[in-house]
Formats: sequence, structure tokens, C-alpha cells
Amino acid sequence: MEADTARTPSPVLGLYDRPMWDSIRDRAMRLQRCRGCGTWQYPPGPGCTACLSEDLEWTPVSGKATIISWVIFHRQYLAAYPAPYNAIAVRLEEGPVMISNLEGSPPERSWIGRKVRLVYTEMPDGAVLPRFTLRD
Amino acid sequence: MSVTAGAATSGGTPRLRRAAAVVGIGHTDWVRDWTRARAGEKPADSYGYAMQAFSAALRDSGLKREAIDGLIAGPTTAYERLGEVLGINPRWGDQADAVLSVVQACTAIESGLAEVVAIVYGNDQRTAGTQYGGPQAMGGDAFLSYVYHSPWGLTSQGALYALTFQAYKHARGMTEAELGEVAVAQRGWSSMNPNAIMRKRITVEDYMASNYVCEPLHLFDYCLINDGGVAMIIAEAERAKQICANPVFIEGIGRSDLNRGATSLEPRLTEFYLPAQQQAAARSYAMAGAGPEDMDVLQVYDSFSVHVPLALEGYGYCPVGEAGKFLREQGVGPGGRLPTNTSGGHLSETYMQGWAHQLECVRQLRGTCGERQVQDCRRVHYTSDVAGKAVSLIYGR
Repeated sequence: MEADTARTPSPVLGLYDRPMWDSIRDRAMRLQRCRGCGTWQYPPGPGCTACLSEDLEWTPVSGKATIISWVIFHRQYLAAYPAPYNAIAVRLEEGPVMISNLEGSPPERSWIGRKVRLVYTEMPDGAVLPRFTLRD
Repeated sequence: MSVTAGAATSGGTPRLRRAAAVVGIGHTDWVRDWTRARAGEKPADSYGYAMQAFSAALRDSGLKREAIDGLIAGPTTAYERLGEVLGINPRWGDQADAVLSVVQACTAIESGLAEVVAIVYGNDQRTAGTQYGGPQAMGGDAFLSYVYHSPWGLTSQGALYALTFQAYKHARGMTEAELGEVAVAQRGWSSMNPNAIMRKRITVEDYMASNYVCEPLHLFDYCLINDGGVAMIIAEAERAKQICANPVFIEGIGRSDLNRGATSLEPRLTEFYLPAQQQAAARSYAMAGAGPEDMDVLQVYDSFSVHVPLALEGYGYCPVGEAGKFLREQGVGPGGRLPTNTSGGHLSETYMQGWAHQLECVRQLRGTCGERQVQDCRRVHYTSDVAGKAVSLIYGR
């Protein structure tokens, strides 16, 4: 990492976040899934938000998702993100909503409803982020 | 598929209806302090602003400080230090945001824990350089969504509302120009408010020509960031009638919180806070024995203009899906069907995180708003839906 490389904003690393970020670094993102009722958790947490079971299993996600909203930042807030840049909200096929970015060429009209797939982006400082690219 | 406590039609706690009333209001000179702050001065810190506002509220009430037996500090000052600065040893105390301070004061009074409660707020956010975006964003300790998505560059509460509005306008068929009616209307009101920081009228054309900050939101959709303080004195109803000739009663209270999925922003992006608003509305309307058709003025917590269309639909002022049409055809500005944020609100008057809105509720009901006074104002509705925690307050004469 060069001295003048902007640092990617650090993720929140609570007790349950670290295994997820380890799986992202391995380019095979896993989320907790409840062994009891099957509900997927995001963000990671101490138990199942649907049934309060603490019996969760780190399980790979399919990487399939659909865009439910998007924005374009026209102002810079963070050194690693010069404007303009986008942020998207996607609903993972597994259920949870996740915030990320759309890589590659953007849709010509509305982004909402567009199918996307998970990709892994290595940032200039070496951080790996789960992002999405158009699938259709 | 949400778990919600209580049925939508349950009437809240009728005991609190007209149990307490506002007998004193006060605030700092934020127009003067805006100019001073821009000149590089620091007129006061949060405690200094709080003290100025409290003194003004005390003068307005005609009470002596010794009459205050309850104290609620706003979220930006430590409770003990605020009480020390104000020289108050109360028999009951608490810390809360604007709308919940009013609610807590009513519950303390109704239960007999206190009789005359001061609720006091001071904030030096402008001169202190408080950050509402970036990795150290204010509020991140209370709302994980404010900081969780920063690795992807999603930061600032404005961006969260930009995401909300993008999904909302897609779902409802609303346009950016229709949203622009909110900022235009509130400037119309603030142009008649000598205590407003931004008073120059704007048009929808000005709005559309203004820069995006986080697309689809424009600069005019964002609140100000300024220093100031606000205080109110709330007394038990019978005592209030002895203290002043024009007490303003709290007639209805309702609340409903959306916590499930909150960090992923689901309540904003998929439901637009609607279920919480509808339930808070139903509870407060039932307590007050009134409905949206009985409200003369609406005051909406407007950190961003987006709150206004969400509130119009959620609290029953127009059918779901028709807020854009309502804003364009009926209007919320001067001369419009539903006078909304008549001081100019957070967008144009002052960003006091909901506190100054309470003062405007009281002033409209006292009939002291001058040029912007809504005639024969009998009920004012205040709504707040910060992060999907919907609270509805109804004030009456």
C-alpha cells in the first residue's frame, strides 16, 4: 500500500462481523443462516432475528440479487470515494437487503428491479469489498 | 410480516389527553449567531445556548426558577451538567429528544412525579463542526445504519433519504419537481419569519437548477446546520391555567417503531415508514378525538424534505401514492390547503432537531405568528419519523 493511497473506510467489526469479512477476503461471502427456521441474517448478529435461536451456521450466498434503490453521490465525503460514485441497495436472493456499489456500466434507465450478481473488488489499499454487476 | 405491539385502532393512553400544557417557550437568536458563526466567532457552547433558551422560556412563562420541579435535557448536553448550569435540583429528571421530551414531561406530570417540567436543548453543532457524514458520523452509536455502510461509501443521513426517495418515487410515480414543492413552500413560510435563517423565496425552477448533493436529492432538500437552543416549560393542566391565559395543551400522543431490518434500511426502502406512521397516527387521533381533517397546521420533522410526502401519506392527509399530486395541486405553503412547517422548518428556519417545531406549534395556537399566522388555529399536528421511529403529537388550545 502506497503512502498516498486512500484508505477504504473500515467496516464496523462487532463480535459477529469478522467471520463475514474473512469470507469476503476469501471471495466466497458467507452469512449466518438459522439452523432452526432457515432465515438468513444481515448484518451478522448474536442470533436469529426471526426466531431468536442462537444456532446459526455460516453459509455461502448465491451471489444473486436485485437492485431496490440507488443513488449517485455528487459530493465527496470520504478519501477513498471521489465523486461521482454510486451506492445501491440490493435484495439478496436469500432475503436480506444489503448496501453496496454497482460496478461496470450502469443501466440506461431505472436501476430498480435490475438483476445483479456478486463480484469481489480489490480496492487500491488492498481491502476487498463485495460489490455487484448487472446480470442481464 | 412484522410483529407489532397493540392493534392500530387502540387509543393509546387517554389519561394523557390534556393532562399537561405548555406555559412558556424560549429560543436563542440563531439568525444573529449564524452570522457570527460564519464570521468565525463561537457565540456559546451547547450549554450556553441551552441556558439562553431556558431563561427566555422562564421569562415567557412568568415563573420563578424555583417553580421548576422536573428537568429534561436534550440529547446534545449531559443531563447533570445542564442541571448544574441552570441551577436546578429537580425531583424528577430525564434525557430525551424533542418529541419524546414532550411525551416524558406529560407522563411525569400525569403520574404526579413532577408538576412543572422544563425541557431544554442546546446545540453548537455548527461551530463545533459536528459531522453527520463520514466514518465518525454523529448518531452512529444509536443508529448502526449511520455507520455500517461506510466501506461502500454510503454515508451521511442525506444519502439514506436519497436512497429512500429513489425507491419511493419509483413505487409511487412521484417526480423530483413535486418534491421540490416542499422546499419552495417552506421558503414561502420562512420569508414571513424574522427568526428564519434562510428567507429568500425560491421557485421550483430554482430547485431543479440547484446541484445534487446525493442524487436524487438537491441542495434545497437538505436541512441547515446551525447553532442554537430551545426550551419549553410544561405544567400540569390546572396549574397551567393559573400560570397563563393561553396554555397550549397536549391532546394526543402516538408512537410506533420500526426496528426490524433497520440497519439494512428496509423500513425506509420498502415500506417508507408507512406502517409506523399509520399506527402512531391512529393512536394519537384516538386520544385527541380528532382526525387529520381537524388539524389546522402540520409540523413535520424535516431533516430532509422527503419526510413531508412520507408524512402526508402516513398520517392520512392524502391517499397513499398521492403525496406528489397533493404537494402540486393542494399545496403546503402560504395559501395552500395544508399549512406545513410554517416557520420554514429545518430546511429554512433553523435546524434544532425538532425542538423549534414545538415552539411553532405553540405560537400558531397562541396566535402570535404575525404575517404567517394561520387564522383561527385550533389544532396543530407534529410528526416525527426519524429512522422509522414514528411519533405523533397533537397540540390544542
